[in-house]
Amino acid sequence: MSSTSTHAEVTAADTAGRWPVLLLLASGLGWLVISGIFALIASIQLHSPTFMSACEWFTHGRVGALAETSFVYGWAANAGLGIALWVLGRLGGATLRAQNWAMTGTLFWNLGITLGLGGIATGEATSFAFLELPRYVQPLLVVAYIAIGISGILAWSGRRTEGTYASHWYAVAALFLFPWLLIAAQTMLLWSPVRGVLQPIIDGWYVQSVFSLWLAPLALAGAYYVVPKITGQALPSYEFAPLAFWTLLFVGTMTGGRHLIGGPVPAWIPTLANAACWMVLFHFIVVALNLRGALTGGGTSLTFISFGLLAYFAGAVLDAVTSFRGVALVTQFTYFTTAQQQLALYGGISMLLLGSIYFAVPRLTGRPWNSGSFVRGHRVLAMVGIFLLVGSLAVAGWIQGTELSNAKTTFGEIAGRTRPWLLAVTVAQGFLLVGNILILVNFLRSVSDVWCAGAVSQVGAFRQPTTMEVHAS
Amino acid sequence: MMKNGFFFFIGLLAAFLLGWGGIPLLAHKQIGALAPFYDDGESSSFPTRPPGVAARGQLVYADLGCVACHTQQVRRPDFGSDKARGWGDRQSVARDYIFQGRPQLGDARIGPDLANWGVRKPPLDAGGIAQFLYSGVVSGAKAVTHPPFPFLFDDRPIVGEAAPDALVGLVDKTPRRQIVPTERARTLIAYLQSLNNAYEYPEARHVVPVVAKEGAHK
Ligand code: HEC
Repeated sequence: MSSTSTHAEVTAADTAGRWPVLLLLASGLGWLVISGIFALIASIQLHSPTFMSACEWFTHGRVGALAETSFVYGWAANAGLGIALWVLGRLGGATLRAQNWAMTGTLFWNLGITLGLGGIATGEATSFAFLELPRYVQPLLVVAYIAIGISGILAWSGRRTEGTYASHWYAVAALFLFPWLLIAAQTMLLWSPVRGVLQPIIDGWYVQSVFSLWLAPLALAGAYYVVPKITGQALPSYEFAPLAFWTLLFVGTMTGGRHLIGGPVPAWIPTLANAACWMVLFHFIVVALNLRGALTGGGTSLTFISFGLLAYFAGAVLDAVTSFRGVALVTQFTYFTTAQQQLALYGGISMLLLGSIYFAVPRLTGRPWNSGSFVRGHRVLAMVGIFLLVGSLAVAGWIQGTELSNAKTTFGEIAGRTRPWLLAVTVAQGFLLVGNILILVNFLRSVSDVWCAGAVSQVGAFRQPTTMEVHAS
Repeated sequence: MMKNGFFFFIGLLAAFLLGWGGIPLLAHKQIGALAPFYDDGESSSFPTRPPGVAARGQLVYADLGCVACHTQQVRRPDFGSDKARGWGDRQSVARDYIFQGRPQLGDARIGPDLANWGVRKPPLDAGGIAQFLYSGVVSGAKAVTHPPFPFLFDDRPIVGEAAPDALVGLVDKTPRRQIVPTERARTLIAYLQSLNNAYEYPEARHVVPVVAKEGAHK
């Protein structure tokens, strides 16, 4: 690790603007654990249908919706916004502005999520994927999001440098685009719903846009910032980065129709998706080229980011391959699609965000992570957990898909044949949950040290990037 | 473009508008005004509006998240085993769903497709479905293969005679008590029984060659 980045290690901007960011990260990690509990329950129910079935709140359909919602809007949104604000603040070269807006927005955002999850548990879920939160919390979410976003946009527009950097584009795009997206989706699906199959078509577009216009940009904003900071090298092939950015934005949202292959929708929708899936690979290739330095580096942040980068890339390739009718014939409607989604959201987005969090938190608190062994534990559990999760789901899905196409196999038999793999999924969810508890506890302990120590800063003692990051190899 | 804030935002907005206009709006233009199909031969139009009780049942289906495991979309006979499994003779088309408040297309088949469940052979009667939803045991089987939904039922004492729709077989398990479907269970069952996309529209016909002459679908 070079010493070139040492001078910028803990800046005044970090210390003065840390509370909004830490609040977002704390909320995100809290929801990550909560969503892990829901996901664990849901995964148990897949092999043991009676598990918690007497309790209406935790019937399988609702637990699944709770897990998904708390993952996307709780974990990924909070953590992604935290990282985006931090990156924009640092790149802006000044203390984060509108901090009260960001803090208030965060509180209301999480209040909205909490109310909405209560609504889902008590039967108010909308039954739209990624848009399960009941109608009555949706406007609150839009307003709260804008309040948080203002801080980031101000940091961008008030930046001290003339030029912009890839992290800028991705962060600003995510901050700016999500409210439009959410308003469009909730208007057409919840407030004045369109008719018939237009609903699933629009929901498919929304799900994909949440990924392409919001979560992926948030995660990439962090990765583009952190990787060169640690490696101390300019990004290779950076000249393609702008085109890769626009490719994701313009083409990414068109890939959503791949889930509707063979469905009761106009045929051009899945056909367009198939073409778009291949075109958008350009984005993924460039990102992989740009950030490939992460693969050679050591340390916790880079390990998470490398894993995330590979998963992000592999997910896109799998999406492209399964967008062909012949492949979809087997994988559609099976656990295989779940595997793909987990690969993208957990393996890709979440690991990238976690990598950035491991880098950012010590700089925000001015001291290293509280426990190195917790960091190492989380690292192993997260990687093994995701491997096992995605792998078992994929195998289960493939078995399910081939058995489904044989009309003689009963559902009981399919359940029997997939059962070992579904048990492995539960084990994987267990690993992930424990790992996530480790980082949550570690985070809270690190932050409470600062909270309680008050203004006393230990910045001087931890200027070396290596110590900041807990070198755990 | 990357440096100039104004153009950058225009670019972002364009990306959003293109995605939005490209899929939701275009699709809306194409099938947003799809009307029922009037069949001269039968002097009625299809699809028929589901009865109110079934429409309410769809809300129960949605709020319990049955869609997590069940699709309601049949693929064409040469694409997958849908027809061979008896889920429907023709592929589902957009027109099938125009009267559904919240179509439950679904994207997982952990259980069977239910698009035509109301006309499935042999049909389960309301009592049979109730039993199945309460216990999670498919008729004839021993093991629980389905999530049970006991909270859709009332466990209450028998006063006088047992309720007519009390679950058979469970009535005398505990003396003087009966398991009775709640209002929600009844609407859900009515909904399941109403699921029927058998009518053959012109647009569904090109896929399965139909021998009958024009206008005589059935
Ligand atoms: C965890 C996944 C899961 C959920 C959630 C689920 N089902 Fe099922 N369903 C199945 C499976 C698996 C089968 C096939 C069972 C078998 O044949 O052994 C099935 C079968 C059925 C059948 C056909 C039974 C028959 O004998 O033909 C009906 C009807 C049904 N489910 C209705 C529902 C309803 C209504 C809900 C929501 C209240 C629901 N299911 C929720 C997995 C699920």
